[in-house]
Amino acid sequence: MTQSFSVSRRRFLGATLAGAGAAALLPSAKLYAQTSIRMQLSWLHSVQFAGSYIAQDDGFWSDQGLDVALDAGGPNAPVEPPVVAGTALVGISAADYTAAAVENGAPFKILAVAMQKNPFVITSLPENPVNEPGDLEGKRIGMALANAPVLEALATLNDFDASAVEVVPTQYSAAPLLAGEVDCLLSWETDLPVAMAVQGVESQTMLMADFGYAVHSQTYIATEAAIAERRNEIVALLRGEAQGWDLYRADTAAAARRTVDRFPDQGLDLAVQELQAERQVPLMFSELTDAHGFGWFTDETVASNIETLALLGRKITPELWDRSILEEVHGA
Amino acid sequence: MIRASSATVHFPGTRMVMGAVCVLAAWQGLAAATTGALLVAGPLEVINHIAENAGLYARAVGVTLSSAAWGFLLGNLAAVVLAALAILRPRAQGVISGLALLTFCLPLVATGPILRVVFGPGEGPQITLAALAVYYTTYISVLVGLRAVPATWLDLVTSYGRGRGTALWRVQAYAALPYLVSGLQIAAPAAILGALVGEFTGAERGLGVLTLQAMRDLDVTATWAIASLAAVLSIMLHAGIGWIANRVLNEEPPLILAPPVARGKPNYSRSGAATGALTALIALSLWWGIAEISQLSSFFFKRPDDVWVFLVSSDTAAQNRAELTASGLETARALLPGYFAGLGAGAGLAILLTLVPGLSSVAMPIAIALRAAPIVTTAPLLVLVVGRGAVGSAVLVAVMVFFPVLIACLHGLSRAPGQVLDVMDSYAAGRWRTLIYARLPAMLPAFFGAARMTVPAAVLAVTVVEWLATGRGLGALMALSASLSNYGMLWSVTLVVAVSAVAGYAAVARLERAVLSVFASEQVQ
Repeated sequence: MTQSFSVSRRRFLGATLAGAGAAALLPSAKLYAQTSIRMQLSWLHSVQFAGSYIAQDDGFWSDQGLDVALDAGGPNAPVEPPVVAGTALVGISAADYTAAAVENGAPFKILAVAMQKNPFVITSLPENPVNEPGDLEGKRIGMALANAPVLEALATLNDFDASAVEVVPTQYSAAPLLAGEVDCLLSWETDLPVAMAVQGVESQTMLMADFGYAVHSQTYIATEAAIAERRNEIVALLRGEAQGWDLYRADTAAAARRTVDRFPDQGLDLAVQELQAERQVPLMFSELTDAHGFGWFTDETVASNIETLALLGRKITPELWDRSILEEVHGA
Repeated sequence: MIRASSATVHFPGTRMVMGAVCVLAAWQGLAAATTGALLVAGPLEVINHIAENAGLYARAVGVTLSSAAWGFLLGNLAAVVLAALAILRPRAQGVISGLALLTFCLPLVATGPILRVVFGPGEGPQITLAALAVYYTTYISVLVGLRAVPATWLDLVTSYGRGRGTALWRVQAYAALPYLVSGLQIAAPAAILGALVGEFTGAERGLGVLTLQAMRDLDVTATWAIASLAAVLSIMLHAGIGWIANRVLNEEPPLILAPPVARGKPNYSRSGAATGALTALIALSLWWGIAEISQLSSFFFKRPDDVWVFLVSSDTAAQNRAELTASGLETARALLPGYFAGLGAGAGLAILLTLVPGLSSVAMPIAIALRAAPIVTTAPLLVLVVGRGAVGSAVLVAVMVFFPVLIACLHGLSRAPGQVLDVMDSYAAGRWRTLIYARLPAMLPAFFGAARMTVPAAVLAVTVVEWLATGRGLGALMALSASLSNYGMLWSVTLVVAVSAVAGYAAVARLERAVLSVFASEQVQ
């Protein structure tokens, strides 16, 4: 809200001053050449999107003539509709959700992959740990019933018997694990285990991505029409993202601190944000990104995504991914 | 005429305070007993936590209250206009009421994301959901109030050669004021709930945002603090409107939970079925019209024919219907026991409190707190305490239904005609016989009125708890469909939920007419 207001005011001032022949007084010609776009985030503001905040605060976007508004997500705020409707130029989704949306008629492409490794983990307690997929047999796992295909995919990938795992439908909370109602939970590496650690409860996490579960997460999506018509803006947006996330990686504690300061009304806990910021790094950065840059993907990673997504019931082709924007960003 | 029994409706203040203290003590005890389980935070911790973060909570309360206030204003304004229209055009009343009920029964879980896309960033969805949450109860209250005028007064207006408009403005509007106030009292907590759910669709700040963050961070103290804050706010608004009304109006606000079942029926000549069909036709046209005029993408804004294709004519229609039916049955298994348990508990407690008035000092604070805390903040807590699955959902439904029924039944029980009670007294009939032969028949109209009006509340409760806590049934199916872009399913579920709620309402109304024609024939025309 405030963002777009200040832009229009700046534009207005710029236009007026220019009209009065006082353009020379402006510190930079860029100021009135700003294009306003919106990016739809997939969750509430938190360190999960800290790279974007850095890009915004440090002017990585405004230097390129872009004024980006970051729209918060939430449990009842799907990402895909505003991107289809054009309210947001780019949205942050995940390969499985994007594939489902495309099956339902949305003309999306995946342009970049922030989370190279899917953040799904099996969280357990150290005295009764799940260290590898086979350990799940005979255990009770707490998760939403809707995620049953995820467990089945993991079983197929790792040759264990999914029917030997007792699924207990739970809400997304650590409470059932702490109460002993279940032996483990399906969660993200970066939320429930982090919250538990900050509350003083040690836990064990098994990253599903380390056992063949390849689903790109926190992916940048746009419609085919937007890619064709507003290509430069998307390139500039992702360039800023890449710069922001590189800075994030250099000092995650600072990124967490900046996030908490930037959103004083979100009720963010600094300790939680710091730990989350730290645990995000191995998911987001790899040898691949070191070699080619933030968000990179290859034919091989796409192929393994297609394989895992097929196990989840999604039939897709490599055409869902489009690396051309990222190639422009990283000058490849 | 009416011998209101002060023991049941007006509670002695000191006892109430003692009751509240008992409840707080029990709460603190529960927290102490479950330390370490990350479940319950006691009142002392909660107060301490709020004091330490006073600025944060003050700002969040301000944001949520502002959305709720706008929604409250717009929703109630719409309600008053609709009610006036319904009075001026009696033939249209059946259709207006039907459309109003249908809109009220649209599930918040599905309307939230759609409103977010329609409005874009900002407070649009919060305000709209708050308005949608309040307008129906106010509409009903004002409608009853506008009709609560002696026919001779209207005759007087007519004999002076003035029309309906004058009657409405000069006579009926004044008669309806107390009824409007009672509608506003119910509306205030509902507006807060609507604003909170609106904040789940991608808001930047507010109590709803803090709730989500607290739950994600396993911050039990903050979760309980927000639920308590929202409950206190709701109670204060409810009491505040009553207080203002007391100073402005001479009479006490009447207790309105539903219009008398068949009042106004002679006003429109169409049969019930014809009114229903006309309402459905208009609803479909509106749906189509909005879709076409707004030019919203059919990717997420489905038209009636898209839903037809999805459920009837496509290749996967049978599979879609099967999925929808399975979830629907799962929801019904939680909804129906919860609904009937709520009705039973509400009526039962009302009877108990009439027999043993002393109990009310403990029972009422619990009842009020349970009802006032917004369901989106209490749903996850209740499920933690009472368990997942059908039982957890059923308990939450029962809580939503219980309180309006309790209040209505207390009121009904106290309205047994004085002469009848005097006769019972003079024959030394005793409490039980007085209860069975005089008070219970007097309670029935209020009980049924509440039973009808709580049908949409029960549906709201079960879908919210399924969405936020248990992950089963139609509530979860809506959330899942939205996240997988299966908007055909989302709109189908929405339609089924809204139509089922209206059908449930109609079924209760039918039963009501049958029962009241035997026990309270003066209520049925």
